[in-house]
Amino acid sequence: MSPLSNPALEISALSAGYGRFDVIRDVALRVGKGEAVALLGPNGAGKTTVLRAIMSLIKNRRGSIRIGDTDVSDFPPHRVASGYAAIAPEGRRLFTELTVEDNLVLGAFHLRHEKARVAALLASVYELFPVLLNYRQRRSSFLSGGEQQMVAIGRMLMSDPEILLLDEPSIALSPVAVGIVVKALLELRRRGASLLLVEQRVDIATQVCDRLYIMTHGEIVEEMTPDDIRRQGFDIINKYLG
Amino acid sequence: MLQFILSGLAIGSVYGLIGMALAISFYVTRVINFAQGQIMMVAIMITATISSAGYSPWIAVILGLLSSCIVAVLSYVIAVKPILAFNRFSFGWLVSTLGFAVMLENAAAYLWGPTSRPFPAILNGYSIHIANAVLTGQQVLAIAVAIVFAAAFELVRKRTLYGKLGVAVATDPDMASAIGGNTTVVAIAAFAISGLFAGVAGILIGPSTFANPYLGSTYGISGFIAMMIGGGTEKPLSAMFGGLLLGVLANGANALIDSQASDWFPFLVLVIILIVTPRGLFSSGGFSFPRLMRRAR
Repeated sequence: MSPLSNPALEISALSAGYGRFDVIRDVALRVGKGEAVALLGPNGAGKTTVLRAIMSLIKNRRGSIRIGDTDVSDFPPHRVASGYAAIAPEGRRLFTELTVEDNLVLGAFHLRHEKARVAALLASVYELFPVLLNYRQRRSSFLSGGEQQMVAIGRMLMSDPEILLLDEPSIALSPVAVGIVVKALLELRRRGASLLLVEQRVDIATQVCDRLYIMTHGEIVEEMTPDDIRRQGFDIINKYLG
Repeated sequence: MLQFILSGLAIGSVYGLIGMALAISFYVTRVINFAQGQIMMVAIMITATISSAGYSPWIAVILGLLSSCIVAVLSYVIAVKPILAFNRFSFGWLVSTLGFAVMLENAAAYLWGPTSRPFPAILNGYSIHIANAVLTGQQVLAIAVAIVFAAAFELVRKRTLYGKLGVAVATDPDMASAIGGNTTVVAIAAFAISGLFAGVAGILIGPSTFANPYLGSTYGISGFIAMMIGGGTEKPLSAMFGGLLLGVLANGANALIDSQASDWFPFLVLVIILIVTPRGLFSSGGFSFPRLMRRAR
């Protein structure tokens, strides 16, 4: 059975924005269970707005968002975050006054009454990023960019959601840190996670994902596979990304 | 000298509690609740009314504190939440919280009349001697209660999951809701706790001021100065240190400069402190000599 017949995330005709203006219009996309999908596009295309709309951090004006079997279009953010979706946002946005472990445990806030499950999730995050074990009690503001990105991804994993949303996880990182992040994403794929990746780097998107959507001016204009890009070269992407 | 300091610490504890009340609600919502002094006044008026009706002073105190918590939550629901829902970054709350304060004050004056009413004495008749200074039981109680409340707040903030969620909301409310925190519930809890702190300050000062509908403004302003001097906009606990310092300075000014000096002296100190260290003395970017020298250069 194709993963798309049983989607982890299905967005239909979604419009959302700030103030009186729609930043995204009639966006439709699907992420199958266990599938990784990339959202590519130039700056200002509306990629982050799609992720914010999924998390309900901005009001959806039209359209619907389904995660698994549930329509979450009208859910408040804290309900979406309670096991439906989780986000590793651009710029990491850690709670800098708190330690690494506090940040991770807060990621599982909706599971606060399930101590054994939280402990198992914490162990799996440390297995994915063993270096964080050394920094458990360190304030997250004292970490390097790469380490902070690991905490942001770990915090996202702690809520054990149906879909993982990652916003430019490679941005402003050293090549070594980017390598660690990509390795972690491939490991998450191996574990069967469903993920929607917003990325500017086409090489990372083609390495990690099964399909790619291209977005410009708030609309999805193309859907392709990594094989399409390998066959036709990066020019096909460059015409959109500029 | 010791007497000024100890008496100053006692009144400073009350300023510190009101400063912390302001700081706690600011910490989570970035809104300064200018009705905090009037919320304190509500606790005093309710306690005085129930006590004078013949009920036990302790029942009166509990109901007084409950009323200040409820009124603080109401101030959030009526004067803050609708403003933030319209535009989180607007300053409409400046007017709405001041309006709520005026409303509370006038409602209290209408209900109880403008004259002072008796307030039940707490620890009346006790006093302790430290060297050549004397502290009344009431003053010792104020210092002890302020320490306990400040320490308990800091313990909850740093050691419990809900306290850490409060820190998360204070740091980044959007991200806090994206990890499952209900920011509205956290804000309501913060306002209830701020109401408790203001109410406790009222209970501690009530035996000295008696119950009067107009005493909220004076203590509200003192609490605001305590918060700003200490750096409570960054860390609520700093407001307590600011309050203690303010109490000692105001007491010292009254004794050493003029009997009315406490009306203007704290403002002078506040201006100087904010020039030297804009985030307050006890904030993370607080006072340090190297920073002061760099600024002077």
